[in-house]
Amino acid sequence: MDPALTRNFSIIAHIDHGKTTLSDRLLEVTRTITERQKQDQLLDAMDLERERGITIKAHPVTMAYAARDGKTYQLNLLDTPGHVDFSYEVSRSLAACEGALVLVDAAQGVEAQTVANVQLAMNQNLMILPIINKIDLPGADPEKCRHQIEEVLALPGEDALLASAKEGIGIEDILEAIVERVPPPRLRGDDTLRASVFDSVFDSYRGVVSYVRVFSGTIEKGRRIRMMATGNDYEVKEVGVFTPKQSPRPALGPGDVGYLIANVKSTADVKIGDTVTDARKPAAEALPGFKEIHPMVFAGVYPVSSEDFEQLKLAIGKLQINDAALTFMAESSAALGFGFRCGFLGLLHMEIVLERLRREFGMDVISTYPGVVYEVDKTNGETQVIDNPLMLPEPQEIEEIREPLVKAFIMLPNEYIGDVLQLAMEKRGIVDHTETIDDGRVMLVCLLPLNEILVDFNDRLKSMTRGYGSMDYEHAGYQPAKLVRMDMLIAGEPVDAFATIVHRDKAASYGRKLAAKLKDVIPRQLFVVAIQAAVGGKIIARESIGAMRKNVTAKCYGGDITRKRKLLEKQKEGKKKMKAIGRVSIPQEAFIEVLKTSG
Amino acid sequence: MIQVPPADREPVRHLYVHIPFCHRICPYCGFYKHTPGATDRKRFIAALVAEAHHAAATIPLDIETVFFGGGTPTLLSHTHLELLLDGLHQTLPLSNVREWTFEANPKTFDRAKLEILRTHGATRLSLGVQSWNSQFLQLLGRDHTPEGARESFELARQSGFPSLGIDLMFALPGQTIDQWRDDIDTTLDLQPDHISTYNLTYEEDTEFMQRFERGEFHQDPDADAPFFLLAAEKIPAKGYHHYEISNYARPGHASQHNSAYWKGSSYLGLGPSAVSTIHRQRWTNIPDTTRYIEAVESFHHARGSAETLTDNDWRTERLALALRTSQGIALEMVGGPHNPTVQSLLEQNLAHIRQTHLALTRKGRLLADTIATELL
Ligand SMILES: Nc1nc2c(ncn2[C@@H]2O[C@H](COP(=O)(O)OP(=O)(O)OP(=O)(O)O)[C@@H](O)[C@H]2O)c(=O)[nH]1
Ligand code: SF4
Ligand SMILES: [Mg+2]
Repeated sequence: MDPALTRNFSIIAHIDHGKTTLSDRLLEVTRTITERQKQDQLLDAMDLERERGITIKAHPVTMAYAARDGKTYQLNLLDTPGHVDFSYEVSRSLAACEGALVLVDAAQGVEAQTVANVQLAMNQNLMILPIINKIDLPGADPEKCRHQIEEVLALPGEDALLASAKEGIGIEDILEAIVERVPPPRLRGDDTLRASVFDSVFDSYRGVVSYVRVFSGTIEKGRRIRMMATGNDYEVKEVGVFTPKQSPRPALGPGDVGYLIANVKSTADVKIGDTVTDARKPAAEALPGFKEIHPMVFAGVYPVSSEDFEQLKLAIGKLQINDAALTFMAESSAALGFGFRCGFLGLLHMEIVLERLRREFGMDVISTYPGVVYEVDKTNGETQVIDNPLMLPEPQEIEEIREPLVKAFIMLPNEYIGDVLQLAMEKRGIVDHTETIDDGRVMLVCLLPLNEILVDFNDRLKSMTRGYGSMDYEHAGYQPAKLVRMDMLIAGEPVDAFATIVHRDKAASYGRKLAAKLKDVIPRQLFVVAIQAAVGGKIIARESIGAMRKNVTAKCYGGDITRKRKLLEKQKEGKKKMKAIGRVSIPQEAFIEVLKTSG
Repeated sequence: MIQVPPADREPVRHLYVHIPFCHRICPYCGFYKHTPGATDRKRFIAALVAEAHHAAATIPLDIETVFFGGGTPTLLSHTHLELLLDGLHQTLPLSNVREWTFEANPKTFDRAKLEILRTHGATRLSLGVQSWNSQFLQLLGRDHTPEGARESFELARQSGFPSLGIDLMFALPGQTIDQWRDDIDTTLDLQPDHISTYNLTYEEDTEFMQRFERGEFHQDPDADAPFFLLAAEKIPAKGYHHYEISNYARPGHASQHNSAYWKGSSYLGLGPSAVSTIHRQRWTNIPDTTRYIEAVESFHHARGSAETLTDNDWRTERLALALRTSQGIALEMVGGPHNPTVQSLLEQNLAHIRQTHLALTRKGRLLADTIATELL
């Protein structure tokens, strides 16, 4: 393809501003998909994406567009996720492009992820086209949006196009603007092969499929290539583009976005961000790679029935093949049996992994309360990294504990600033500064412990701002904190699954909450059961479950005996399924209930 | 652990006879029963006698206790009762009978009917009073009034039954502890020989179960505990022995027939839906009067479902039943006094050791099923 007639662009925005819906329209207008293939959010191919209405993975697609100037252009679109957990998908996509369409929901205005994603695009020197979407909505205020684009994003607001992806308004203008304003791929002087791998997936029939953007040179079937980071050489079996399904092409040339299949055995052999070059005539230097991503959130994931351990291992392994951000290591818990400590990018990522395990692999799993990674300096001079509360050394061995911080950018309507400041304080946040966005909104920039925003921060922000507040964050290093491990004891026995690392000042209130919850879900036993929260051997909260007083005792004569026996057998079966913590039998559901709602 | 006796040829000593007729159907009742309707009662009686005849020919019998339950056995007419009792006397070895119980509902018998029962060997009458409160009698769909029950009781006394029992129910929807106390007091005033107190249970396929499922009735076992405890305090204080969870008797009046069930003895059941357990064989007669009659007429028996008890089944039953009794269960059947579960029951005052047996305390009896599960 003639690079002069190629345009590579990503669509970026805050969650739900309409990226995938706009992609649908672009595919239709360019007739990349036929009438018959049409369906809403077509690029969200994964079941879970469709069901939740969110994009999880970036999706590339190649379109041919006959422009008003009479020429036909090859447009390579990358639809990206909007959620902060998946922002690394956005960065990688942007690295394959010269331009970015930034969508702003006409009713919501610029939100936190709009700012964050535009920032990413600017850092890569991309041509950014602002588009005000959803102008069909009754609450649409395009003028206000122009103003925000100008003020908050520092982009020319008057250039913003108006569109409704849903109603198909303004789509032709967007296509024309892409052709006119997004620069064609810049050509390098030489024709040495340099292509950047921005994603890879494992296909059980075709092996590893690498997503590439070619910067110089060409790749075709039969070519021997080298992955520069690993130094491994492979022979190319197939190259092609996404239409959106994988469609083979004779070759990929400079500026092209597509895929390549070589005899690569496992995705582990392909480093995302690596440079593909010609094995016989390698490039002197690799293209700039990507920052490595590290999981930030950890939780134990356990099969509900212990026999499923091996199966769970296989299932997580399979997910990991196409989800490099997921990590896992075997661990065991007295309460939950054998399972894995898994690392995730964030809570949404964790939820999605758990849901995929349940759905795509039919696994019945439960997870422990999610936590973050702590750094611990010990008195003996060692430094330990802790991703499991149980591994925290004894208090007397600890010199200092550090917890991960984030710099959070919270955008919200002025009138809620008091409430949100209160929330930030409750979460041990330190406000760095506030910025006025326009006469109605402010941006609050603050430092918050990651652990504190993990679970309910976003939900509470949304509800206290009636849906108008939004948050983005970036990791901001580690900071010492007064953290302690809190154990939950049931009838005097510590239950490892409920151990957590909490701030010292919050331990008592959290302990009370957890104890109350446990009291709710643990069935009465024959004896009184004490539930205690303890920090370093000191009890900081307690509850007790009164002893069971009475069964419903039916009469029992000759005709009732079989029924009575079956009743007892059933009760015994039920008891077998419970986890025994000392003398206390706790049903699995009780664990799930508590682990689900604590925090 | 539990010793399983060998399947020997010991004769069966306990007989149950099921009479499925009731005048009216109580909305809580889970027994097999129906209004007599068009049932040919003579034919039914003939079937019962034929079934007895066949049993006597195939099973070694030496009957010591008889129990007529239902249904309402006293609903049978004088003639029919005589026909049935004469027929059984002719077919079964009943000369060693020590105890012969009839379940009876108030107002279903007169002096003459009681006379027939007495002359045919009945020794006990168990009167289904259920409550002395007319409001609850109505809720329970019972036919009688408190006065009617009292009259029937007096009548039975006068007829010279050696043992007279009154059955009561508690934990009725809306019942207060004071109302229950009144029921107990009224019963004690009559000085029956035996008192059964039954916790209302919601049985499948009953109107009460439907109302329970609709949320009209509630069940809170913990809230029912004081009802049980009140009976367990008041009745023994008047000289009754609390010999099984639901049963109290004056000395010498404990039901030997029911005790046989709780001990795990073999018993033969006649009539529709009746259960027999002979050594490890248990079977249930067809729970349908018409089909029961047809089956007996064709095959001389009416066995429907059957099961053979495994060692495990047997042990579970022994445990569940023995724990309900004041005698308790032999310690060697629950792993001895040092079994940690036994220890923990003792510590919590849920059980005590009586010589060679582990028996539940009053507090423990409230939890008999849970404790049995723990000991399984
Ligand atoms: N009224 C109206 N609704 C729209 C428009 N564009 C998208 N939507 C709706 O907005 C919702 C989100 O649309 P998506 O296209 O999934 O948004 P997205 O930006 O891809 O979302 P993520 O991938 O989760 O970040 C869907 O319900 C769309 O139907 C529009 O122009 N007008
Ligand atoms: S009288 Fe007895 S057997 Fe008949 S329906 Fe009422 S409770 Fe049931
Ligand atoms: Mg999307």
